[in-house]
Amino acid sequence: MKAFFLNDIKAQDSGSATAVRPAKVKEVDSLCPYCGVGCALTFVVDEDKNRILYTRGRDGAPNAERLCVKGRYGFDYAMHEQRLTQPLIRKAGSYPKGPLSSAAKDSTGARKPGGRVDYNELMPHFREAGWDEALDLAASRLKQIRDTHGGGALAGFGSAKGSNEEAYLFQKLVRVVFGTNNVDHCTRLCHASSVAALLEGIGSGAVTNVVRDIENAEVAIVTGCNPTENHPVAATFMKDAATKGTKLIVINPRRPQIADFAEMYLRPKPGSDVALYNGMMHVMITENLIDRDFIAKRVEGFDALKKVVAEYTPDRVAKLTGLSAADIIRAGRLFGSAKAAMIFWGMGISQQTFGTDNARCLIALAMITGNVGRPGTGLHPLRGQNNVQGASDSGLIPMVYPDYQSVKDPRIQEKFEKYWGVKLSPQVGLTVTEIMHAALKGSVKGMYMMGENPFLSDPDINKVRKALSALEFLVVQDIFFTETAEFADVILPASSFMEKTGTYTNTDRRVQIGRPALQPPGEARQDWELICEISNRMGFPMKYDSVEQVFDEFAACTNEYKTLNYQNLGAFGKWYPCADPKTSQGEMIVFGDTFPSGKAKLVPAQVTEPDELPSNEYPYVLNTGRVLEHWHTGSMTRRSRALDTIEPEAFVEVHPLDAKVLGLSEGDWVKVKSRRGEITLKVRVHDRTIQGSVFIPMHFREAAANVLTNPAIDPIGKIPGFKFCAVGLTRLGSRP
Amino acid sequence: MADDNRKLINLTIDGKPVQVPEGTSIWDAARRLGIDIPVLCHSPRMRPVGVCRMCVVDIGQRTMAASCVRPCEEGMKVEASSAKVDQHRKMLTSLLLSDYPEYSAREMSTSNDQLLALAKKYAIQDIPFADGATGMPRGTDMSSPVIAVDHQACILCDKCIRGCDELQHNDVITRTGKGYTARIAFDLNNPMGESTCVACGECMAVCPTGALTNKSVFAEMQVR
Repeated sequence: MKAFFLNDIKAQDSGSATAVRPAKVKEVDSLCPYCGVGCALTFVVDEDKNRILYTRGRDGAPNAERLCVKGRYGFDYAMHEQRLTQPLIRKAGSYPKGPLSSAAKDSTGARKPGGRVDYNELMPHFREAGWDEALDLAASRLKQIRDTHGGGALAGFGSAKGSNEEAYLFQKLVRVVFGTNNVDHCTRLCHASSVAALLEGIGSGAVTNVVRDIENAEVAIVTGCNPTENHPVAATFMKDAATKGTKLIVINPRRPQIADFAEMYLRPKPGSDVALYNGMMHVMITENLIDRDFIAKRVEGFDALKKVVAEYTPDRVAKLTGLSAADIIRAGRLFGSAKAAMIFWGMGISQQTFGTDNARCLIALAMITGNVGRPGTGLHPLRGQNNVQGASDSGLIPMVYPDYQSVKDPRIQEKFEKYWGVKLSPQVGLTVTEIMHAALKGSVKGMYMMGENPFLSDPDINKVRKALSALEFLVVQDIFFTETAEFADVILPASSFMEKTGTYTNTDRRVQIGRPALQPPGEARQDWELICEISNRMGFPMKYDSVEQVFDEFAACTNEYKTLNYQNLGAFGKWYPCADPKTSQGEMIVFGDTFPSGKAKLVPAQVTEPDELPSNEYPYVLNTGRVLEHWHTGSMTRRSRALDTIEPEAFVEVHPLDAKVLGLSEGDWVKVKSRRGEITLKVRVHDRTIQGSVFIPMHFREAAANVLTNPAIDPIGKIPGFKFCAVGLTRLGSRP
Repeated sequence: MADDNRKLINLTIDGKPVQVPEGTSIWDAARRLGIDIPVLCHSPRMRPVGVCRMCVVDIGQRTMAASCVRPCEEGMKVEASSAKVDQHRKMLTSLLLSDYPEYSAREMSTSNDQLLALAKKYAIQDIPFADGATGMPRGTDMSSPVIAVDHQACILCDKCIRGCDELQHNDVITRTGKGYTARIAFDLNNPMGESTCVACGECMAVCPTGALTNKSVFAEMQVR
C-alpha cells in the first residue's frame, strides 16, 4: 500500500527530497502594490532567505479575498537580481549627460532591445559610492542651484506608488527646503483633469462613493475605462452587481470585456464624449427625467447648462458620435429614470486635451438627476496607482498644500509657514509637463526624482530625452536602473513596497497600512529616510522616530485624515472622512446633504476638436493604455517572471477591416509613425478596437507608445491627451 | 441582507440551543455556536452546492443531511459531532482519497491540502485503491505559466468553477466528461494556458486539494 506524502516536520527531518516548504515561514498582512483598488493581502515569507513565497487575498473592504494576476503573482520584482543595492555616482567620463542604453539613446524607429534594461551597458558609466558621499553630493548640488538661481530652478517628481508619508515628506522638502512649489507626480498624467473638474464642480477631488456601492445602483455608467484589465478586482464587483440586476451602460470606443455584462454598450467615435453626454442630458431634460428638487436645493448653473445642451439633439449627436439617435435616447432614458445611478470613469475620459470638459459633463449628468450622496449613486473616477488618491491628498501637487489647500491663499500660506517654520513661495508651481518644458528651456536646472520614470510615462519621449539631458543636476531615487536614471548624476537605491511601512489611500478613499515583508537588498534604504537625509544636508533638519510620526504630522494639517492614526487604522484601514474611528469604518458615501463647495457648480461644455486630427499621412487615431499583466513603464512587471511570461511583448492592435486595407495579418511587423517619432512592433488583429483607431499599450520600452503621443495638454487639468493622436502604419517585409 | 424581517427558527445542535433567521443553513448555525463542521466544497464566500458531503450531520432522518445546503427547521435536533457522523465522514474521506496521488502539490508547497488534513484527522495513512492513480490516468495540465493542474487530485467539488464564474466572473472553468472521466475543463476543453484564463488565481486559491496549485511557489521553493 502506498502512503500519502504529508508535509510535516518529520518528513523534513528525514531529509526527504520532496519536502520543499521551508520549516519556518512568516505571514505579513499588507496590501497589493499595484492598482488603485488597494486589495488587502498576506505575504507568506521565507524569513531566513528573505524571499516572498506567495500571497493570499485577505478579507479587505476593497477585495473580499479576491486578487488578480498582478496581486497574486506579480510580487517577485522586489527580489529581482537587478535591484539597485549601492548608491551610484556618474563617472567624469560620462559627461556631457545623455541617454546610455541603446534603447534610450536611439531616437529612430528602429527595433530596440526588449525586456529588461541591460545593466552591462549602464553600470560602466557609474561608480559605486558610500551613502555619505552620494547624499552630500546630491544635497550640495541641489543647494548650489537653489542658492545661485533661486528655488524656482529646482523641481521634484514624487510618485503615486509611494506612501502618504513619503509623498508628504517629499512635497515638504520641495516647498520648505527647495523653496518652490515645483512639485508634481504622475497623477498629472492620469486624473488631473477629473480632479480639476471635481474641485471646480463640488469642491472635492475624491470619489463620492465606493466601488462596491454599485450593488445598490440600478444603473451604472462605466465609461472610458477597461476595469477588467486595469482594476480587475473592482471589475468583479461590477460584474457581481450586473448579474444581480444592475444595468451597466458601458461606453468606450475600444470594447472592454465588461461590455459582455452590459445592458447597453456604446461605441462613440474617439474624442466625441462631450457630444454624447450632452446628448443624453438633452434627452433627460426634454423628457423631464431630471431631479428638480435636487437641482433647486443643491445645484447652480442649471439654466446655462440647459441652454448649451439644447443644441445637442439626438440627431446632431448621432452625427458627431457615430452612434444611432435611438441609442442616445435609450441611454438617456435608462440613466434618467434610474432611482439610483452611479458613474465610473477612467483615463479615456481624463487623458484628452478636453479631459476637464469630459469630466464636467459626467458631473452634470449626476447632478441634474440627483445621483449623488445616496446608496448606489455617485461619481467614481477609478484611480490608477495604488496611492494616486493619497499622493494628491498629501500635497504632491504644485497648486496646493496637503488636503488641497491652495498655495495662492495668503492665509493658508501663513498657516503652513507657521506649521513648518519657514517662509514659503506664494507662486503656484509647475506641473509635470511644464517642468519638462522648463528643463528644456533651461529655467529648471536641478531635479529630484523619487520613483518616477518620465522617460517612458510622459508624452513625446524624444522631447523628454532632450529635457532630461539638459538638466544640470538630476538625482534619481528608485529600486531599478530606469530609463530616466540614465540621465542621473546620482542614483539612490531605495526600498520597494514590500520593504516598508506606510499608508496608502485607495480609489475608495480607504486609508490602509502596508507592512514590510522583506529586508531591502544590499545598502538600499527607506525612501522617507533619504528625503530626511537630503533635507538635513541642505540645512533643514527633518527628524522623525518612525513613519507613524510622519503620518501624524501629515494628518494634523488636514481635515480628512486628522482623526486617523496607525492604531485606529489597524489591519484593514478606514475610509476618510471618519469622524469617530473607534466606532466607525468611515464614510462609504459622502455629500448626502451638502458639497464642500456648498452648491454644486455646473459648467457646460461644448464639443471641441482634438488637438491633432488624422490626415493622409497619419490616417489612424492612436489610443494608448495598459494590459492586464503589466504596469505603466514596466519596471516592476517586466521583472516579474509570471507576468512577463504571460505577456512578453509590445503590440499594436488593429481592426480586421483596417488590417485588410493595410495588408496586415496577425504577427506581422509594422512601423507606426506619428508627427513626433516612430516605433516598430508586432500586429495583433482584433475587432475590440474601433475601425480607424489602433491601440498600443504603454509599457514596452522597445516600442514605447509615448514616442508617438502628443504632448498637447488640457488647458485646465494640464493633462496630456494620451488617448488621441494621429498615426500612420507601414507593413515591414521581415522581422526587423 | 434581509435578516431583519425573517422569522426566527429554534433548533439544537449537539444539544446546544440556537436561534437563527429562517433560511439559515445548519452549517452557518453551527458556526454561530462555534461548532466547526468540516467541509471541502463549501466556503462562506460561495453559493453552497453540497457536493462533497463532508459536512453531513445527523438530523434523525433516514439519511444524513449536507449541512451547508440544508436549511434549519423549527425544533430540529442536529448531531454534528457524534460517533455515527464521524464514521460517515471517515468513509467519505476514504472514498474521496481513492486514486489520490501520492504527492499532492498543495501539501508539498503550501502545506494546506484540506483532504489530507482530513486523512490525518481520521488516521487514514494509506491511499485507498492506490492502483487507480498509477500512471496518473486522469492527467495533468502544466500549460499555464502560474497554475498547475493535477486532475488526479481533483474531487470535483466545483469550488474552482464557482470561484471562476461567480466570484471573478471570468467564466473559463466548467466540467467535462461523465463517470470516471468527469473532470474540470477550461473553455471548450482547451489546455489552461491556451484558454481565455486571465490567471487571477482564484481557482487555485479556493481549491482544497492538490488539483489546482501555485506553480510559482513551487518553482520558488525548488530554486533553492
